[in-house]
This record gives sequence, C-alpha cells and structure tokens, in this order.
Amino acid sequence: MKKYFTIFALGMMALSTAAFAGTTATNTNTVSPTLQISATVQSAVQLTLSTGTAAVTHCAVTPTGGTPDYTMNFGTVDALGINAGNCNKFAPTTPGVSNAIYWSDYNLNPVFTSQTVSTNTITAQVTTDFAAPNNLFIVRDSANSSTVPASAAAFTAVSTATADTIVTNAASGSTQTRFIGVAVTPANGAGVTGAKSATVTFTLTVQ
Amino acid sequence: MRFREYDLRRTHLPVVKSGGKVCSASFGRLLSALIILAVAAIAFTKPATAQNGTFTVSAAPGGIAFAGGGGGTLSGQFGAMNALGIGTPSAGVTVIPLSNGALYITHYQITISGLPNPHLGAVTAFVNSNFTHPAALIMQSCPSSSTCNASGNFSAMSLIAGAPTTVVAAPGINNQTVTVGLGIFVPDNNGASSFTGVDTARITLTATDTTNNKNFANAEIRLDTPVGETIQNAVRLTLAPATGGLTITPGADFSMNFGNVNGLGFGPGAGLTTVAAAGGVVYSTPYLLQPAFGAFRSTTATIKTFVSTTFAHPTILILRDAAASGGPYNNIGTTAGTATQITNTAADRSSITRFLGLFVSNGNGATTFQGSDSATLTFTMTVP
Repeated sequence: MKKYFTIFALGMMALSTAAFAGTTATNTNTVSPTLQISATVQSAVQLTLSTGTAAVTHCAVTPTGGTPDYTMNFGTVDALGINAGNCNKFAPTTPGVSNAIYWSDYNLNPVFTSQTVSTNTITAQVTTDFAAPNNLFIVRDSANSSTVPASAAAFTAVSTATADTIVTNAASGSTQTRFIGVAVTPANGAGVTGAKSATVTFTLTVQ
Repeated sequence: MRFREYDLRRTHLPVVKSGGKVCSASFGRLLSALIILAVAAIAFTKPATAQNGTFTVSAAPGGIAFAGGGGGTLSGQFGAMNALGIGTPSAGVTVIPLSNGALYITHYQITISGLPNPHLGAVTAFVNSNFTHPAALIMQSCPSSSTCNASGNFSAMSLIAGAPTTVVAAPGINNQTVTVGLGIFVPDNNGASSFTGVDTARITLTATDTTNNKNFANAEIRLDTPVGETIQNAVRLTLAPATGGLTITPGADFSMNFGNVNGLGFGPGAGLTTVAAAGGVVYSTPYLLQPAFGAFRSTTATIKTFVSTTFAHPTILILRDAAASGGPYNNIGTTAGTATQITNTAADRSSITRFLGLFVSNGNGATTFQGSDSATLTFTMTVP
C-alpha cells in the first residue's frame, strides 16, 4: 500500500502543472507574464510661425532652430517706397510726410493639448525695438484677421509696452493668417539708414 | 548508505578432462559445485587480496541519496527536471540553467582504501545502460580534479565500456575519499525527438590500480529509484529592454514607465521616439520578447498580448503595437478574446524585437486628463 501511494504521489508531482512566476511554468504549454505601463500626462502648448500664403508675395518666415526662433527679412526699404523690398509695400500717402509700409502675411499655428479649457489668446509685442532714431517700427494688421490689408491705413504699430491680442480662441491646430510689416518714417538725421532689426514675441495662452 | 565491493579476481578454472572426453555428468556437477563454493568463499569472505584495494561509492553531503542494492549497486534519482531549469530541483540536486538547456548536478564520493603503498587508484565510468531518450537526457560527469560546481566542470559521460570517462585521473589517488560530480544535461529538445516522462540510466564505475594496471573493483549507480528522471516540458516568456528603448523593470512581472508625455509629443524621454498619429501622438519604444520552451513537439510558439487592465483614462492613453519603429501602430486588444497576435513563429531562445506605442490624445476640454495613469499588458505564449 505504501509503495502504491509513493508511486501515486510521484505521478501526481510529474503530471501537475507548476507555475513558478508569471514568466515561467512547467507541465503546461502556456505562460502569461504581465507588463505594467505607467505614464504621466502633461498639458502642452505649441505656437509655430510659418510663411503666409494669403498676400501676393510673402516674406519667408525662417525657423532658426535657435534664438530667435524665426526670422523675417523685409529687405531694403525706404520711406518713399521706392525700393520693392522682399515682399509687399504700401508707398506713403504723402511722400515725405507719411510712412511707407513694407509688409507680409504670415501664419500662426497654435496647438494645445490636455487643457481643461479651450479658450485662448495669441498676443504680439515688440520686445526688442529697432534702435534709435526709431525711424522704423513694427506694424500689424489692425483688423487682426486674415483679410489682406488694402492700404497703409490698415496697419497699426505693435506695442512695445504691452502685448497686443491678435488672435482670440483659435481652435487647436488651426492656422491663423495675420500680417506684419515695418513702417519707415520719413525722418532724416544720423543713424536712419543701414541694417536694423527688432524682435516680436508672440505668446499663446490657454486658460 | 555506503556500498563496498570487493575484488573479484578472475580465477581460471581448471578444465577437467578424462581420456580426451569430458567426465560424466554426475562428476561434472559435483566439481562445478565445489568450484562455485570456492569462488563464493573468495568473493564474500575476503576483501581484495592481490592489491588489497577496496572501492567505495557513497552519497556526498548535499548530494542525492543512494539506496544500496544487491550485486554492488547504488540506486537513486535526479527527480523532476526541465530544460529551462525552472523550479526547485529534487533534494541533493542543483540546477544550472544554460543557454540551450539546463544542467542538473549532484555530488557523490569515491573512497579507495587498502591499496599497499605506493599503489594508486584511478576510477573511470561509462553509461552501461543509457537513457532511452538520449536526445532528452545526457549523462555528464565531473572528475575529482574539479570543484564540480559549474557547468564547465562537467562533460558528457562515455557510453562505451572500452573508452570510459575519467572520474579519478591516473596516476590516481592513494587511500582516500574524493568527491566527484554526476550531472544530467536536459537540452531544450523541441521537435520530433522531444520527450516528457520518466527515463532511467545506469553507470558503471571501475577502479584500477595504476601501479599494476589492474582493475580491482566495479560499482554501478542506477538512476532509477524510486522512479528515475522525470522530464517535464517548460515554458518561459520574459521581457527585456531593447537597445535604445525604455528600461523594463522586473517586478510582478515587469514594468515600464513612459514618464511625462503630452499630446504634442514634446520632449520624449530617453528610450522613446514619437510618431505622428491622428488625434494625438504615439510615444514608441522598442522592447524584447524572449521566449524559451523545452520538450515540445512544436518548434514554434504563438505570442499574443492584450490590455488586461486599461488606463483609467482609456480615450486619452491607448496602448498600440507595431512590428517596426515607424509603425503602423495598431491598438492592442483589450480582451483575451481580441488579443493582438505578435507572432506565431516564435522560436525557442530567439529574441523578438517589438515596438510598444503609447498613444496620447491631443484633446482638450473638461474630459481631458493630466496626471499619472497606468495599464497592464498580459502577454501569453502558447506552444501548440
């Protein structure tokens, strides 16, 4: 009897399925390990600029991959609107009195994710102005729309002190066309010619 | 249990003839009986005399137990074994997992005594009755000159009496006890030669006085008691990090952390790349599936996976699978019945590189989510 019990016990040991962890098993043909995957979701915002497509000609928006993020070059400009510049221009209404405006369209592409609200704004501010004697200043389309400006009167100076709201409640991922330019005043004096640059900072806020 | 076998010297029995004919049957039977009695007296009452050598095989501390049997045998067993070295081996047996199987080893002792100085004794062994499934179990031996604790100390034991395996190398040892090793290599052995069940084998050990080159004793170890060697099939599936991929942490069973993610794919952490996807982005990482299986008729296995525990925010975070880093990434099934098949040709001990994608929605609004979340994938490997 004892002998038979021993044989039975050994037989049961041999035939029984033994799983030693989720990764291994014996006396069976299947095993099922598990993988726990964790992640922490963060909200994110993105605002990119690109060359416009609305106006007749376009000054290129060039990403630098560094600082500043993008550049746009209006080329050679003058207060009488004689030079063509790199894209579009409005000659002064009264040469020698009013300003010439060299301008281009450009695109803003706001994207945001995992935000609890979708309301948002995009603002623009001149954070580094042209150097003195300030015979150049940055202008934008007064309408804050994608309608191509019809004249110099359609432009407004971009503020250097506060941020101007230029887009409100854009859908995430939607392209917003706007217009930007440089106004050239007919001022005369020292330092009014030569290469000059300014920096405009665009800010997307979702809240 | 110790076994002692004494010298059985070959004695040339006289051939008795009369007048060129064999003697009568009655006289022959009487003479035979006398001869048998004489031989028996020599065998059982006197230790080896010519060299006075004795040869004892016994269990070693920590080794398998042997039962003494008649006719100078020791009997024991290695018990249950498998090619992956899974589980705790039988008492006295140690398992050494290898890249192509598992080596189960034990130790036993050999004692030589009674040799006159300066005689030395050497010992050889061979498998006199091999396993009936030689592709599934391979007898191995470790000589007294090794520690017999590593696979490299062991080699296949000879199956040929005329070319036995050295156990105690010549010129041998004087009267002393040495510990040697006995092993059984269980290879993965899938395919037509696969085997599961019980098998047995027997080993003959021979002691030789190397001074006069005479064998002075034999012993036999039978690996058949009380059952023998039981080969079980075995399966294993592990996950491991791939080069350039996320860390996979062993736990219960494995874990992987994608870290901070967002719907735009900004700043993927080390080991991650992003792939564009409609409605969000996929964070992707390569990883390795490492299947292993032994003693199966089939040489290939099927591996499937499904999301056994979904993210708490299952529309924002979705697990996807791809065969290539660039995709396409497809949602992994969320039930066992809809599990995603990764392969049906997984080969034994052949790693598979696969890509796990974590889709992150770019949605906004009240239903969006920021924070930590987790899900569980269950991988199932089946060898048909």
